[in-house]
Amino acid sequence: MEEAKRDEEESKQQQIWSWGAGTEGQLGTGKLEDEYLPQLLHLPFLSSAGSISTLACGGAHAIALTSVGKVFTWGRGTTGQLGHGEMLNSLHPKPVSSLQSYVITHVSAGWSHSGFVSDIGLLFTCGDGSFGQLGLGDYRSQSTPVKVDYFANNFVNQIACGMRHSLVLLMGNQVYGFGSGKRGQLGSRDKIKSVNLPQVTCGLEDVQIVSISANGDHSAAISADGHLYTWGRGFAGAADANLPQLSLSSLRCTKAALGWNHGLLLTGDEEVLMLGGNYHGGLCDLEKMSAVKHRSADSSRATLNEVIGLDGVKVVKIAAGAEHSALVTVDGAIKTWGWGEHGQLGLGNTNDQTIPQTVSLSPDIQNKEASLNVYCGSGFTFAIRSLSVNPDNISRN
Amino acid sequence: MSYDDVEIEDMEWNEELQAFTYPCPCGDFFQITKDDLQLGEEIARCPSCSLYITVVYNQEDFLRDKDKSKKDLEPAKQLPISVA
Repeated sequence: MEEAKRDEEESKQQQIWSWGAGTEGQLGTGKLEDEYLPQLLHLPFLSSAGSISTLACGGAHAIALTSVGKVFTWGRGTTGQLGHGEMLNSLHPKPVSSLQSYVITHVSAGWSHSGFVSDIGLLFTCGDGSFGQLGLGDYRSQSTPVKVDYFANNFVNQIACGMRHSLVLLMGNQVYGFGSGKRGQLGSRDKIKSVNLPQVTCGLEDVQIVSISANGDHSAAISADGHLYTWGRGFAGAADANLPQLSLSSLRCTKAALGWNHGLLLTGDEEVLMLGGNYHGGLCDLEKMSAVKHRSADSSRATLNEVIGLDGVKVVKIAAGAEHSALVTVDGAIKTWGWGEHGQLGLGNTNDQTIPQTVSLSPDIQNKEASLNVYCGSGFTFAIRSLSVNPDNISRN
Repeated sequence: MSYDDVEIEDMEWNEELQAFTYPCPCGDFFQITKDDLQLGEEIARCPSCSLYITVVYNQEDFLRDKDKSKKDLEPAKQLPISVA
């Protein structure tokens, strides 16, 4: 809250770029074309609704959350995932008007559904509900965000939307799952094909969870002491896990980003490790990678690998698309690797990359104060450069 | 190389496309028509990219149903699971 307020007082200069698959309007360029290079966007809504504090990118749609808690969506809307009250694509960011009276603090975009959390812990979902992933007790799709009444007496902190499932983190720690559970992604002791009401994720009851993530049929959570738990579809051909599995207890991670066949971890030492990745998501040839952290004596589980080619450069942000990856280095460079067929690596071509490559953002600026962030949808990528302009400073100068 | 093996029951019937579909990592959908399935085709392609998946199904299920209405060919909807 305090942070949001502070943002309100500051005016943030932002530049937003997008690239990759664009045929559903997900790039916000106003065109239905793939873009192989970062496209600087002109989004007039920014001036009226504050700066963008975070983006969530899904299968072919995107959600922008502004510093004052407003939500804008664009891209594919054919199952209602944009929350505009219609089942239509939108080429340009449009406000989710039914959420106007709420202050939204957290958003997530799945393959074809969306989740929104308000500052008083309310959860709203919309989009494809055919696997129960909206948590509303049925299998219907919704074109306007609907409050998830199951949590009427709880304070929801976060939602994470995957391909056909959702995870919810409550204040006070409990993790819930709903939607498709076929690959174990709900974390249930029973074999569950799908469930349309939230149910507690088993095995995390005694762990203090601070963040959750979902993509494809994967689920992950990070605990307060930096432990990573994963469940759902196995990485790199490993067996599916029905219950959360602790990855290497010596590991301390601050963020997880999941793809459809790989995952990225940011450690407390600002290093990036990769889970799985023998598909495009890694594309990284496993033989070329130094497998630094084998989970000994259990070949059924995926190994964690160092990402090669970073030469020790510290990393501050990570993001994963379905089959590509992106990161921001401490010195302000965006690097991408993985599957590139739609230009989602932003390198001007459609090549795949096994080693992180630097993306050129135009116009370039030399400003140490600028902060960069990167977000990946299934086959597309967004970058935001924010320059804090403190009005006090301006008047003093 | 096939991107993934997907069981027919995990694919969704799309009335507009008259095809079974499954999400493709590019953002589009892998597609296969029931005519393809009756012919024994097991590759579902994405119209937007080079990727394809292998559909796991029993061809006889589709040959037997050939003359029935296509409603019978729709994948079984996910049944609600009651949790104790």
